[in-house]
Amino acid sequence: MKFTIYQESRPGKRPTNEDRIAYCYSRDALLMVVADGMGGHLHGEVAAQIAVQYITESFQREAKPDLKDPFLFLSGAINNAHHAILDYAADRFLPDAPRTTCVACIVQDSIAYWAHAGDSRLYAIRGGRILAQTRDHSRVARMVEDGLISAEDATRHPARNRIFSCLGGTNAPQIDFSKKTPLMTGDVVLLCSDGVWGPLPADVIPRAMSTGNVLQASPALLNQAEARGGENADNLSIIAIRWEDSYAEDTLGSVSTKTMPIDSFTTQMEAFAKARKGAQPLPNLSDEDIERAIQEINAAIKKFSK
Amino acid sequence: MPPQANVPLPTGYQLDEYRIERQLSLGGFSIVYLAFDKEDTPVAIKEYLPNSLALRSTGDALPSIAEENVATFRYGMKCFFEEGRALAKISHPNVVRVLNFFRANETVYMVMHYERGRTLQEHIQKHKGEIRESFIRTIFARLLNGLREVHTHKLLHLDIKPSNIYLRNDGQPVLIDFGAARQTLSTDTPLLKPMYTPGFAAPEQYNSIRRELLGPWTDIYSIGASMYACMAAAAPQAADQRIERDQLVPAVRRWQDKYSRQLLETVDWCMHLNYLERPQSVFALQKALADKDRIVPRQTLLGHLRKKVKAFIK
Ligand SMILES: Nc1ncnc2c1ncn2[C@@H]1O[C@H](COP(=O)(O)OP(=O)(O)O)[C@@H](O)[C@H]1O
Ligand SMILES: [Mg+2]
Repeated sequence: MKFTIYQESRPGKRPTNEDRIAYCYSRDALLMVVADGMGGHLHGEVAAQIAVQYITESFQREAKPDLKDPFLFLSGAINNAHHAILDYAADRFLPDAPRTTCVACIVQDSIAYWAHAGDSRLYAIRGGRILAQTRDHSRVARMVEDGLISAEDATRHPARNRIFSCLGGTNAPQIDFSKKTPLMTGDVVLLCSDGVWGPLPADVIPRAMSTGNVLQASPALLNQAEARGGENADNLSIIAIRWEDSYAEDTLGSVSTKTMPIDSFTTQMEAFAKARKGAQPLPNLSDEDIERAIQEINAAIKKFSK
Repeated sequence: MPPQANVPLPTGYQLDEYRIERQLSLGGFSIVYLAFDKEDTPVAIKEYLPNSLALRSTGDALPSIAEENVATFRYGMKCFFEEGRALAKISHPNVVRVLNFFRANETVYMVMHYERGRTLQEHIQKHKGEIRESFIRTIFARLLNGLREVHTHKLLHLDIKPSNIYLRNDGQPVLIDFGAARQTLSTDTPLLKPMYTPGFAAPEQYNSIRRELLGPWTDIYSIGASMYACMAAAAPQAADQRIERDQLVPAVRRWQDKYSRQLLETVDWCMHLNYLERPQSVFALQKALADKDRIVPRQTLLGHLRKKVKAFIK
């Protein structure tokens, strides 16, 4: 098994990073997970952490060195992670369990399998075109699909972050599964949180990946999304692989699992600072600020009066 | 102790280039005066004076502001500016026109075109229970033109209600009082917290933490509630109570003999507790009102999501 992989998570302009990401591989199977803890709820990052940790641990237990049934694995791991979050909340008498989205992908035998709950996404990209993509569990996304609002409106819609499936919720997550998707050399599989896809026009992600150079394109994509996210940029996380032909010569920076012992794993989990900013003091309005505001308003009144 | 009422500037008071005639109204955030400019043209002047922060006593022009309130007072001023800034760009027959903005008496003033007529609230009181469908359709169709313009400028009104809808003597409705467009206010300034009007405010307005939930649909709820009030001659049940126990009789059930089904369904559509179920834009609402054959879409949402939204609003 051979691939090039890049992962990175950034807080954006938020005081905390509630995204968690990880990948893990054995000789014959690769797992990638992105979880986006939900801010409205208590300790979103805890839910995300539990999900990512639980799923990678399950993978390490079961991928020996491959999984018997990747879909069954994903279904079990995600559902159990959901229950692990509920248990965590119950143990601590939390009034409400923390919640998180989750998208997880397995690649083995050059076939990709994925599953998701919420609005963290997976794109399978071939030659700069989207081969397959997850469908967000969000009403707004469905409204776009149904033509009720435009994609443009959706980027500003306040419910764009509201999802109807997640881990840790009162209802069991609704998990959607992909088709078995055979990968070819040069194909890119990209997982990301909404902080990445949210601010970007639809075609940017596949186009950015058209070179297949995930090591360069991924951080560039994060830069672009963060810039477009502006003052309010959400947490941004990405994991992207470029699938390699197993028989080709080593590509720089790629991972080859050929020589790995059957029972070993390599796991990469991003670590995060947990700093929280204190309450902001009121911005001070000086006399000059007041004068300037009044002048601006009067200028606008003049300009716009007919 | 509830904040005391502020004393208005006296008749004949020379305020900048305007002469105060009389007070038109006194609210918790501001006082509105009728005044005359140098050419003796009547204007309406709104004075920023939140009574929780600044108090004016009889005989004084300057309000007294406690030391610890100065920062908050000024911060609120910023929000008053936002209102002026946004209104300044809007020149529309159905939106009150701002003429000038100035500073005096340690506070700020917004001068508006003076409209002659009465508020929809007064009209409803006068014609209790006998407001015709054609009147509602005409007034709201025009008003929505104005509201659309407001939304185009990325501003929300957030306090639409019959007393903020002014009916000009020529029959044109005018949207007034963008005071609640104090949408920039954050929750850490409780002294400036906007006061919403029960019965007309949308449920998401009660949840002050999540300002990002506010959108065109928030004003659209208030439009629906105002139309409902025209029919009922009273304010509908407040949204926060509706969330606890919804006792609002759908317009479709309450007035099926009096108004067309299509108008009634549109009112109910606007007044959905779940903001996702309401018209998402003024345009969508206008389309629904204009198309008399249109059937308002039935609820399509999973009960699952509805439960979540409800739990969330609580
Ligand atoms: N431009 C105007 N022309 C005429 N009357 C006005 C105007 N603006 C406000 N008023 C009167 O003053 C009242 C209160 O004004 P409003 O802007 O709603 O302030 P408040 O924040 O106190 O409710 C209105 O109901 C209306 O009677
Ligand atoms: Mg008012």
